[in-house]
Amino acid sequence: MTSAHPTYHQYGRTDLPPEQQRALKSAVRWEIFTICYTSVTIAVVALVVGNSQAMRTAWIEDMLSLTPQIAFLVALIFVRRRPTRTHPYGLHRAMGVGHLVAGVALLVIGANLAVESVIGLIAGEHPTIGTVRLFGQTIWLGWLMVAVMVVVVVGPVFIYGPAKARLAPVLHNKLLYADADMAKADWQTNVASIVGVLGIGMGAWWLDGAAAIFISLGIVWDGWRNTKGAVLDLMDQRATTYDDKNAHPLAGRIVQELREQSWVADAAVRVRDLGQVFQVEAFVVPARGRVKVADVDAASSMIAELDWKVQDVVVIPVSELPAEADDGVI
Amino acid sequence: MRTVIENRRTRRTALTAAALLLATALSGCGISIPTDPEGTLEKVTGGELRIGASPDRGLVDVDAATPTGPLADLADEFAATLDASPEWTIGSEETLVGMLEAGDLDLVVGGFTEKTPWIDKAGITRGYSGIPGTDGRKIVMLVPLGENAFLSDLERFLDKEVGS
Repeated sequence: MTSAHPTYHQYGRTDLPPEQQRALKSAVRWEIFTICYTSVTIAVVALVVGNSQAMRTAWIEDMLSLTPQIAFLVALIFVRRRPTRTHPYGLHRAMGVGHLVAGVALLVIGANLAVESVIGLIAGEHPTIGTVRLFGQTIWLGWLMVAVMVVVVVGPVFIYGPAKARLAPVLHNKLLYADADMAKADWQTNVASIVGVLGIGMGAWWLDGAAAIFISLGIVWDGWRNTKGAVLDLMDQRATTYDDKNAHPLAGRIVQELREQSWVADAAVRVRDLGQVFQVEAFVVPARGRVKVADVDAASSMIAELDWKVQDVVVIPVSELPAEADDGVI
Repeated sequence: MRTVIENRRTRRTALTAAALLLATALSGCGISIPTDPEGTLEKVTGGELRIGASPDRGLVDVDAATPTGPLADLADEFAATLDASPEWTIGSEETLVGMLEAGDLDLVVGGFTEKTPWIDKAGITRGYSGIPGTDGRKIVMLVPLGENAFLSDLERFLDKEVGS
């Protein structure tokens, strides 16, 4: 059968068209670059972290920001595996699992840091920052903290954040998108920690705790958004766009194309996001209550040719469309 | 498009205004960074420096009327740089740290090293091994938590006297 249709789709497809392959390769390179960059950041910040709660929180956030990249790279190993009897849909969900793990990690540690900062603030802990000896000069460590936070923000905001944000829609990869989104928002963390440190410098000791709370609430928010998105996809919410903002337009397009077939009276689909690729169940009501197998095959091939994401397609002739299936009406 | 440009302009204006405000506020209050939330450095300068001494043979000896030894001498010299008269209290570490927390002392000296467990209750200086009689230990001094100008001034003094 596959030889008769050279473009015939595969269930649980694992290969990608050239544009996506290029984007994926590029994404892997960016993720590795990010891990290296962040590791250097963590090491440099460790030298100056001192007693500032805001700096400590920002430092832990840097460590946490490694989880999406690691999750992405690990998930990729599984996503590429071909479907088998035991895993007939392939292992695409690994990406969703990685997304969930990253989200929960952010949520839990962010909440922990927020509580820690609030307790410190209530207890009235005055953060102590002394001096360091650098090239024979004694300078206040706070200035070094500010300098480091200004320098390290360049990577996420200007280099790898935007790069990944460009790749995520091409690959329809939500983990990558969330990762890019967090990187681009990283300047808020750095500004907050600078405000905290300068606050300490000016004798406004509480600014440090306040900045730490702001940073940790940012982490909690990221965690909540990611956990929610990952859980919804793992629970087979209908496929949405990579930013979770709208229903994915492919569902409507598939329904439209099916209705244009002469033998189809009506059609509706259920589309779920397996992570990067979709699985499509297309319900069709045949015009004369009869179907030719060749028509069904042609219809599923037609759907598969619409987009590289929809290769796992089943077309099901029914007498009545299920109410919960997407009929393309928004 | 127009709104984007306007937004950007507003943001830039806001940033400039914020920076100016900060600068004015700083110069207006005569704030230098770092500064002390409780004003220790300012209070001590030209006044009295309340020093706690925890006896440690060879570093802080308490046989005489006022403590002697390398650490006590350093504390006296530091007081001199601030035109302050040293006011000594001798006690156990816990008593002295408690007084430091309560604001009854400005400085505590003794055989404290970088590994001191009082880190949550007192600000500690960097470790100094150049003090005679330390046997290679890196000695620190204790100050009230968060008094960063005072701490920085003390460290600057120690760097000059016994720093490497």
